Amino acid sequence: MNGVTTVSLMGVGGQGILLAAAVIAETASAAGLRVKTSEVHGMAQRGGSVLSTVRFGAQVFSPVARRADLVIATELLEGHRGLGLLAPEGALVCAVSTRILPGAVLRREEPYPEDLHAAAAARGVRLIAVDAEALARAAGTLRAVNVALLGAASAVLPFSAESWQRGLTAAVPAKILAVNERAFALGRGAVAGEDA
Amino acid sequence: MDRTLFLMGNEAIAHGAVRAAAGFACGYPGTPSTEILETAARLEGIHAEWCVNEKVALETAVGTSRAGLRTIVTMKHVGLNVAADPLLTLTETGVTAGLVIVVADDPGMNSSQNEQDSRSYAKFAKIPMLEPSDSQEAYDFMAAAFALSEEFDTPVLLRSSTKLSHGRGQVIPGVPVEPEAREYVKDITKHLMVPQWARLRNRFVIERLQRLRARAEESPLNVLEAGTADFGIITSGVVYQYAREAFPKAWFLKLGLSYPLPYQKVAQLYQHVARVAVVEELDPFLEEQVRMLGLPVIGKEAIPADGELDQDVVFRALEPYLSRRPPRRRRPLFPPVPRLADAPPAAALPVRPPVLCAGCKHRSVFTALKRHKLAAMGDIGCYMLGADPPLNALDSSLCMGASIGIMAGFNQALGRKAAVAVIGDSTFFHSGITALISAHYNGAEGVVIILDNRTTAMTGHQGHPGSGLRPDLSEGPAVDIQQLCEGIGVRCVTVDAADYPALEAALKAAIDAPGLSVFVAQAPCALMVREDLGQVAVDDERCNLCGLCLAIGCPAIAPEADTVSILDGCTGCGLCIAVCRRGALTAAEKAP
Repeated sequence: MNGVTTVSLMGVGGQGILLAAAVIAETASAAGLRVKTSEVHGMAQRGGSVLSTVRFGAQVFSPVARRADLVIATELLEGHRGLGLLAPEGALVCAVSTRILPGAVLRREEPYPEDLHAAAAARGVRLIAVDAEALARAAGTLRAVNVALLGAASAVLPFSAESWQRGLTAAVPAKILAVNERAFALGRGAVAGEDA
Repeated sequence: MDRTLFLMGNEAIAHGAVRAAAGFACGYPGTPSTEILETAARLEGIHAEWCVNEKVALETAVGTSRAGLRTIVTMKHVGLNVAADPLLTLTETGVTAGLVIVVADDPGMNSSQNEQDSRSYAKFAKIPMLEPSDSQEAYDFMAAAFALSEEFDTPVLLRSSTKLSHGRGQVIPGVPVEPEAREYVKDITKHLMVPQWARLRNRFVIERLQRLRARAEESPLNVLEAGTADFGIITSGVVYQYAREAFPKAWFLKLGLSYPLPYQKVAQLYQHVARVAVVEELDPFLEEQVRMLGLPVIGKEAIPADGELDQDVVFRALEPYLSRRPPRRRRPLFPPVPRLADAPPAAALPVRPPVLCAGCKHRSVFTALKRHKLAAMGDIGCYMLGADPPLNALDSSLCMGASIGIMAGFNQALGRKAAVAVIGDSTFFHSGITALISAHYNGAEGVVIILDNRTTAMTGHQGHPGSGLRPDLSEGPAVDIQQLCEGIGVRCVTVDAADYPALEAALKAAIDAPGLSVFVAQAPCALMVREDLGQVAVDDERCNLCGLCLAIGCPAIAPEADTVSILDGCTGCGLCIAVCRRGALTAAEKAP
């Protein structure tokens, strides 16, 4: 709305959604834009779904929005959930190899949704499927799935490499910065190769 | 001070307090308020304390204010109920140095048991209410709040809400404030509220409210923003941002100082537009005051009276009203029947609710408790998750510390031990102790089960008197719960929550014994002390899928076709091994 871009990040408590949101926010801020974010705390820590929203533009009023231009999902089911937020022109960056089964699925009460490609196509959403676990492992830690996805998302967000670097430096703790920089570069490279 | 900061609303409040020369911060953790004090504890120039509860926090703040220190007190909305007793007389005594109570509401109940609108406390206590709408204002308004507090000799309420507290935005820091020094002067007519003096101070309070209203008329915190539409919106707090985005052409009366309401400013808005709406989350707090002026207004008949708003909800709520003709005043303006928020669409995908963590040792208490036919009166904390399937181990949860009183009354009424109480250690210190003393004094039967994980886990692991850990991570003396209970005169047994057979036997003994006793189950929070004893192994031949291990509700055990499987989250805590009757589960071999 009104030249504001909305990015929603979805995942499971403990996957680093808030950190990834902070990187985008700091990157947008470094690019000279106004930024607001919104996140959920409290019970969300205990294995619940986590949603964080980043909105940036020349002027931003509301910190929240029901529709996103881009969704970044750190888990496959959350990627399916994220489709519901996207406008038809939107894009979904999803860690398709990451599955964290919720209780109802573990108890075999409900099926785990599988085919994200078909679901995204049905909604007219561009899906950027990333094997973020493999990229994070290659970078040095499985915990960098979130930042590997940011690297992939950087292909569709309007920020320079320099802004991203400033965002990473501002948001990521110094002692894990190097491994996250590697994960980001691998994520960025994975999508660049796919698009070419 | 040239760097633009990017701050969470709660962080901005703490930074703003320090900029306003606040020297003391205290409170009790509660989502969404917790990070204010945690941030203050990291900043220079301000001392931060967690108190056992919000009442004690406000009373402590009265002391620091009297002694000349500008002070902020932080709490969530329900905490203000606990602090209401001192607040309603503090309004009479006023302050020495500025005293600002920051209360964080939780519309939508993201992490709360009710959805109360704290603005009513401003009216109740006849004190000013400030409502910042973004991080910059959260920072800036602190200086204004302290100035108001001292100028008008009043405690000031500053209200946040979840989306402000946990949202982030850019903040340009301001020049540090240097208030004039204030010193304590003994004055019993101001500080000692017996009827003789309280009557005089009450008149002061009523007059002060009129002076505050005059200030609200001219305060730069209340802004009339010109628009181009024939439509105006009165709003406050983060909701302003939603309304502003939904109706960019409307006129706005944006209330930063939302109580007492500036009547003249409201009247001014009506001179410019034919239709006015009040857009506010939860109660029709501003709307009722506008209606009291006899002015027609669109309010809760359009804007939902429950849940969180956003720009889409606001737009869809008001849009149909704008095409209708404004009513002419002929009849009394009866208040409307409030609209409720639209029900969320049914989930097409599996939901992912929070669960009691894999490796949480306190799961053993719920597992053992289910073997007894007793009502379990729960309390506030992450152990409320023991109420969810498949554990289904709790019967009730009301408010902080209520479990023990409810248990005592239940058992007194039935004349037998029909219920136990289940309460966390931080909640026990908050307001469980007094209930235990009362139950003991009145001869109530029951077992008070204290789940002692040595932290306030729900809100993100804050220290408390049982851990001795302070917000700046320094260590104070730790109160021993067993000794405390024995000092009261109540029998108390402490067990290791990780030793299931011993815990089960001890719990049975406590339940079977007559009278009142306390049962402390000790084990550190699994999120703080991450144990990795190796994953439990399953013997598929022995497993007959009887379901005993699944009934403990561990998210790291899943049923397969004719056996169970152990998932990545397993910490090897061993509760599933203890409940298995066929020896199908075994501890992982430890590496030498």
